[in-house]
Amino acid sequence: MAYLSMGEAHRRITDYLSRFCDAVSSQDAATLSALLAISSNFASLQAPADALNVFQDSNQLVNQVERYAQFAEILSPLLRCLQSYRLGRYSDAYVAFEKAANAFLQEFRNWETAWAMEAVYILALEIRLLAEKADRELSSSGKNTEKLQGAGSFLMKIFGALAGKGPKRVGALYVACQLFKVYFKLGTVHLCRSVIRSIETARLFDLDEFPVKDKVTYMYYTGRLEVYNENFTVADQKLTYALMHCSPNKEANKRMILKYLIPVKLSIGILPKQWLLEKYNLMEYNEVVKALKTGDLRLLRQALREHEDRFLRSGVYLVLEKLELQVYQRLMKKIYVLQKQKDPSKAHQLKIETAVKALNWLGMDMDMDEAECIMAILIFKNLTKGYISHKNKVVVLSKQDPFPKLNGKPVSS
Amino acid sequence: MDRETNRPKKLGFRPSKAPNPSPSSSSPVRLRPREETKRDSTSSIHERRNPVLDEDEETGSPIFSYLVGTCPDMCPAKERQQRERLRDLSVFERLHGDPSRTSSKLAVKKFCRTMSNAELQEVEIRPLPVLRSTLKYLMNLVDTSDQPFEVVHDFVFDRTRSIRQDLTRQNILDDEAICMYEEMVKFHIESHKKLAMCYTKTDLASLCYLNTEQLMKCLATLFKLFDIHRRSSSLYKNEAEFYSFYVLLHLGGKIPQMGSSLSLWYRKLTLSILQSNEMRFSMTLIRYSQLGNFKRFFTRLEAEASDLQLCLVEPFLSEIRARAISYVNHSGYKLQPYPLKHLSDVLRIKESELEELCHVCGLETTMDEAGMKTLPVKQTSFSLPKLGLPVHSLSTF
Repeated sequence: MAYLSMGEAHRRITDYLSRFCDAVSSQDAATLSALLAISSNFASLQAPADALNVFQDSNQLVNQVERYAQFAEILSPLLRCLQSYRLGRYSDAYVAFEKAANAFLQEFRNWETAWAMEAVYILALEIRLLAEKADRELSSSGKNTEKLQGAGSFLMKIFGALAGKGPKRVGALYVACQLFKVYFKLGTVHLCRSVIRSIETARLFDLDEFPVKDKVTYMYYTGRLEVYNENFTVADQKLTYALMHCSPNKEANKRMILKYLIPVKLSIGILPKQWLLEKYNLMEYNEVVKALKTGDLRLLRQALREHEDRFLRSGVYLVLEKLELQVYQRLMKKIYVLQKQKDPSKAHQLKIETAVKALNWLGMDMDMDEAECIMAILIFKNLTKGYISHKNKVVVLSKQDPFPKLNGKPVSS
Repeated sequence: MDRETNRPKKLGFRPSKAPNPSPSSSSPVRLRPREETKRDSTSSIHERRNPVLDEDEETGSPIFSYLVGTCPDMCPAKERQQRERLRDLSVFERLHGDPSRTSSKLAVKKFCRTMSNAELQEVEIRPLPVLRSTLKYLMNLVDTSDQPFEVVHDFVFDRTRSIRQDLTRQNILDDEAICMYEEMVKFHIESHKKLAMCYTKTDLASLCYLNTEQLMKCLATLFKLFDIHRRSSSLYKNEAEFYSFYVLLHLGGKIPQMGSSLSLWYRKLTLSILQSNEMRFSMTLIRYSQLGNFKRFFTRLEAEASDLQLCLVEPFLSEIRARAISYVNHSGYKLQPYPLKHLSDVLRIKESELEELCHVCGLETTMDEAGMKTLPVKQTSFSLPKLGLPVHSLSTF
């Protein structure tokens, strides 16, 4: 670092403080936001940050000048944060930022219009990012990680400040999404429920008044929750919305959406094309799709084993496991079709022994009892139409459409 | 434990042999949160978060400081005297059956939700050695008492809750705590089965529910303890089996919700846990149950379940079997009633018990010409009774 004179340091700090106050008085949200975006590491922030390490008495500076002093509760901790962040002390930076942010939120509450909304967005984003960094730092030195939890509490405060009848409520969805990100990261996903309730059922909000970008993020997270709860119809709606309204150039986001949408579509009987999987680098689903197409149970099991860790981490493992039933259906249908080709008059009688042989040939160890079990479920869940004669060890299929397609509906429960 | 079954006793549970604390130390090793440095003046002692306490409502209010208990008996003297006066003594605590007299050897501290730490004195909190011996006393009571099981359960349920309360108040998070939590989980699992067997009791459903709720709370705390210790890179012997209990609970239809689905829960687990035999076993059982593959479900259960896993699962078997019956009823051939003998083999249940189950679910059974019991299919009267189903154990063949 080049040598910084005391005078230069002083100038840089007062420059930062002035810009802050000017931005507030002229209601310039863009400038204000740039001043609060700590983790962005803009050069315009690095400069005063370096200065703070030289000019140690910034607190006095803030309190001595009238126009800075009125925002002392925000500015003093904000400067501390800048300094700590520059020095790589993320835990300290977080603590200072939380203080500054709290004070800022107080001021924001008093401002009647929503002119500073952009700055509030930055606040919401930064508190999470700084908390994540802080927790990483704490974790690596073997200490309790609690900052992200704190960030969650603060975000709820912001949410509370925005949820109301005024123009400020346009920011609520953005903040809700930040909360989702926090809860997902912490693993306390059940806390999303109260946020969703506030947004969707409190009737304070009309989803149409929010920016599309925020709606996409919102639908992505709430869609994921529906996947975990296996509400496939709703999950399909939400994730499809997110996909359709996602910016065309945001390929990474589309991939994230597809990662969850594909298992949902598979569960309702809709298979993605190969090119889709290739384009978005989701080839882990390739064998699953193939297994569904060919009725190859062994392939499905293999795919699940091979990508087990990945599927468990993203939470779609159980959803994919359930596809087994559809794979069985496909296999039975294949046998039926083959039989029909050989002898149409007898095709509707599927010997259980035949099913067993087919599965054994596929390398699956199965006996008559188990095959009968599977056939019974297929019939119960409407994936097969017919009945089982246990005595004659045969499944008598309906002459019309014995293997109905799902057609966009999940398997009946 | 039910010794009728002839299954191989694999993975039988014994409390993990935690390393004994050195005999010279009287205070246990505790994991205290980092002491805040003076520089960090913004977060006071009030904001120190305890990873174990946060989601445990046992203490009723956030901890402001950690107490160190000094109570020498299973029940603090003050409480003993108070309860003698109020004649609030359990049958196990009465001296010579006198409802107004107890002793330090009989009285056990009750669970009390309302007290915050600020109101408590150290002499009312039991230190670790006392908690350890109290738990031992209670577990012994379960094994030896000749009171009806519901009475014993009610007492031990409450008193172990109080033990957990004292543990969290003193922030005891070490090996000893893990041992004790494992014992309590074991108690709740065994109770789970024993309570379910009291089929005819009217408040059974709520008793079972409450027991399962406490079981899940114990498991949740135990997992947090395992997590804490994993950071210090020591693993516990029965860890995987305890995680498998949580999974197996999902076989039951009406368990208390713990906030998030299994899918979300798996995300947080380490690979070594997920790939353990016990977890694989339990995850596979869930898969078979949800798919409806009863054949594999029962054979796998019979082959691999440990004693405790079986204890946990047996009360859920009736509902699973009832589902199987409904599938058979739905998919069978009208003119060919289904042989009960065969179904009872697949479902690992005695034929007479299967018959009972069919009747309880509103289905008729008949006899064919050869005198074999059968289930006529396509009956429309199938329904799950509101009061629940009788519990039948796993019959082996």
